[in-house]
Amino acid sequence: MATMTEWLRDPSPASRTQARLGQSYLAWLRMRRNPLAMVGLFIILVLLFVAAFAPWVATHDPLAQNLSQRLLPPGTPGHWLGTDDFGRDIWSRIAYGSRITLYIVTLVAVTAPVLGLLIGTVAGYFGGWVDQVLMRITDIFLAFPRLILALALVAVLGPGIENAVLAIALTAWPPYARVARAETLTVRTSDYIAAVRLQGAGAGRIIWGHVMPMCLPSVIIRVTLDMAGVILIAAGLGFLGLGVQPPTPEWGLMISSGRKFLFEQWWVATMPGLAIFIVSLGFNLLGDGLRDVLDPRSSGK
Amino acid sequence: MALIEVENLSVHYGAKGQLVRAVEGVSLRVDARESYGLVGESGSGKSTILRAICGLAPMTAGQIRIGGQPVPTPRGRAFSRRVQMVFQDPYASLHPRHTLDRTLSEPLAIHGIGGSDARVVKALEDVGLPANFRFRYPHQLSGGQRQRVAIARALMLEPEILLLDEPTSALDASVQAETLNLLNRLRAERGLTFLMVSHDLAVIDHMCDRVLVMQHGRAVEELTRDQLAGAQMTTDYARTLFDASADRMLGA
Repeated sequence: MATMTEWLRDPSPASRTQARLGQSYLAWLRMRRNPLAMVGLFIILVLLFVAAFAPWVATHDPLAQNLSQRLLPPGTPGHWLGTDDFGRDIWSRIAYGSRITLYIVTLVAVTAPVLGLLIGTVAGYFGGWVDQVLMRITDIFLAFPRLILALALVAVLGPGIENAVLAIALTAWPPYARVARAETLTVRTSDYIAAVRLQGAGAGRIIWGHVMPMCLPSVIIRVTLDMAGVILIAAGLGFLGLGVQPPTPEWGLMISSGRKFLFEQWWVATMPGLAIFIVSLGFNLLGDGLRDVLDPRSSGK
Repeated sequence: MALIEVENLSVHYGAKGQLVRAVEGVSLRVDARESYGLVGESGSGKSTILRAICGLAPMTAGQIRIGGQPVPTPRGRAFSRRVQMVFQDPYASLHPRHTLDRTLSEPLAIHGIGGSDARVVKALEDVGLPANFRFRYPHQLSGGQRQRVAIARALMLEPEILLLDEPTSALDASVQAETLNLLNRLRAERGLTFLMVSHDLAVIDHMCDRVLVMQHGRAVEELTRDQLAGAQMTTDYARTLFDASADRMLGA
C-alpha cells in the first residue's frame, strides 16, 4: 500500500499512465480536504447504493396497495416514513424512485451539457455568421418557457420516461451554450490558441482539445446546479400526465399526488420532497468540489 | 536568395470605426541562418509584421515570400513545419490545463509524427529543463522555465525559421540573459533563421546580425551589427533609441 502511494505521488513519473493516475490521485486528495464536497459525494454514493439495492433496501413492494393502512403517519411500526393514500409504503417508493431519478438525471446530464458545450464553443470559436445562426437558435429556445417547450415536445413524441428525458435535454442546452460561448470568446484570442493554430491544428482539434477544457468547469457547475430543476421538471411532466406514468414510484409524481393531503397528511408530499432536496444538495456540493479539483491551478501543496 | 522576403507589407485594420495603419509599406529580406532584428517603441508595428507572416494578422497589401514562394492563405501545415513563433508572454502562451508533455506532443500529434515519448524528453533536455518536469503544469513553473517550454514547443516541428516576439521582455534581467544565450546556442546548433522583435537595442545587439528600426508602422533605417556598435546611424530616431540603451550595450 505504501509503495502504491509512493508510485502515485512520484514527482517525476516515468510514463503517461503513471502521470495520469498520479494526477487523479492528487485530485482525490484535494477533494478529500474539502469536507462539503465529501458530504456531497457521500449523498450521491448513498443514492447510488439505494438505487442499486432497492429490492433489499425497501421494506415493502412499492406498488402493493393496502387501503386499510392508508395515510399512516411517519414512525408507524413497519412504515417508518408513513404510507400514502393507497396505503403504499413511502420509504419503499422513495427507494425504488431513486432508480428513476438517477436514470433521468444521468441521461439529461450526458446529453444537454454536451450539446450546449458543442454549440457554444463552435459558435464562439468561428464567430461571424456561424455564431449569429447558432446563437439566434439558442435565443429562440431560451425565449420559450422551458416547461411549455418540454410539454410541446412530449405531446408530439408521446408520454413516457425516455421522451420526457429527451424533452428536458432539448430544452436544457441553451444556458450551457451561452456559458460555453462566453468562455470561448475569452479564450479564442489567447496566445496558446494562436500557438496551436500556428502548429497547423484544425478547428476540430482546437475546439475539442484546447477550448473545451477551459469551458468545462463552469459548465459542470451549471449542470450540478440544474440537477434539482431537472428532477422537478420531470416531476412536472409526470404531474401533467406526460412524463412518468402512475403508479411508477417517481419522486415528483409522489409530491404531486401528496399535494391533495398537504395540510392534514403532510408527510405524503414532504418525504419525497426531502429526498429531492437532499439529492440536489448532494449534487451541488459535489459540483463545487469538482470545480476545485478540475482546476489544476488551484492545487495547493 | 533570401529565405524570408517581405515586400511593401501593409497591415490596416478597423478598430472602433477608425482605420489603424499598423504597418505601412515595410520591406525586409532575411537570409538563411541570419538573425534579423526589428526594433522600435511600443505600437511601431514590429510585432504585427511577425503576426502577418504567420497569418495571425491580415495582410492589406504587399507580399510575403518564404524560400522564394509566396505564403498561402491559410498558411497550412507545410508552412507550420518551416516557420514557428515564440510569443512574448510565457504566462499566456502555454495552455493552463495541459501538462508540458501534452503541450510538447501536440504538434507531433497534429503532424502525425511518431515517437513522441523520446522526442518530448529530448526537447526538454535541449532547452535545459529536467526530464521530471515533463508532467507538470505551466503554473508550477517560473516565467523563465515557461519561456523555455515555449521555445521547445516551437522547435518540436524542427522549423528553419523562428519568429521571436519579444521573447524576454516578460522576464527579469538574469533570466533574460539565460534565455537569450539558450536561443543563440540553439540557433548555432540547428542552423536556424531568427526574425526577432524587441524594443530593447541591447537585446538586439546581443542577438542579431542586422536590425531594422521602425517607427509608427514604417521602416526608419536598417543597420548592421557593426554600424550599430560604431553608432553609425543616419536618422535621429535610431540615434535616440541607441542613446537610451548604449550604456547596457557596452557592458554586454
